[in-house]
Amino acid sequence: MAEGVTACAPQFDDAEQQRTASNLGIWIFLATEILFFGVLFAAYAITRVRYPEAFAAASRLTNLPLAGTNTAILVTSSLTMALGVHAAQHGARRAIVGWLSVTVALGCAFLAIKAVEYRLDYLEHLVPSLDFRYAGPQADQVELFFYMYFFITGVHALHVLIGIGCIATIAVMASRDTFSPDYFTPVDVTGLYWHLVDVIWLFVFPVLYLISRS
Amino acid sequence: MTNHTYTRPRVYVLVWLTLLALLAVTVATAFLPLGWANTPVNLAISVTQAALVMLFSMHLRAAHPLVKIIAVIGFFGIGILIILSLFDVLTR
Repeated sequence: MAEGVTACAPQFDDAEQQRTASNLGIWIFLATEILFFGVLFAAYAITRVRYPEAFAAASRLTNLPLAGTNTAILVTSSLTMALGVHAAQHGARRAIVGWLSVTVALGCAFLAIKAVEYRLDYLEHLVPSLDFRYAGPQADQVELFFYMYFFITGVHALHVLIGIGCIATIAVMASRDTFSPDYFTPVDVTGLYWHLVDVIWLFVFPVLYLISRS
Repeated sequence: MTNHTYTRPRVYVLVWLTLLALLAVTVATAFLPLGWANTPVNLAISVTQAALVMLFSMHLRAAHPLVKIIAVIGFFGIGILIILSLFDVLTR
């Protein structure tokens, strides 16, 4: 897109209108993402209402310290992403690359901790289909919780992975001086996606890890 | 052309600190014996956190009305999906 990128494409009146259009586009995509995860949350809500004791017992088997740390990491990566977008708004090329690199690093840290968590779950025989053993009552329902747990966190982790890829790409583009205060839509739009992945995790965390800890 | 004012970094830092504080609160309340109220408290904190991220970090506060409507529709859709599904399960 090197020489084609000007402040404004011909179909728009001005850069402002162009920015609003791409903003609207990404938000429509984000709304479908919200609905996509919404289906998973609905499935979770129904099964949890039906089997409250089993879900409470299962939730206590999840690793709260690691998940809590991951929440803090993701929230922090949202801050560094926002600062990256801020740098883009002001055309500070090195600051964009710097903040986006930190965001990528934090995203990788999130996935690394997630991998450790999955490994610990595996060692505790909590992976349905693969190796699931549970001695307490309602073992099937506890297993159902872990199906949900792995599916929801797995799909979320996939989103983090995609986000990391996008942010890394944008960082490379920024280092090649692709963006200016008049044109930084890719930075902006990637930032919105990353923040939404953070928002989704802010719901995943309490519903999977914080049931009846008291 | 670029006549609107951008969110200042200080705002992002304040949002970040608030999010971390709310994370501590939500974990802490999970260990309090509140009975049925534990989950609503956790969810209320999540909604607050999500609102902070969306309004400030995602600039929804200053966004075009059309963009705001799209964002609301997403959550409205989830709300209908979950609540109506629960009506079915809870009234069997």
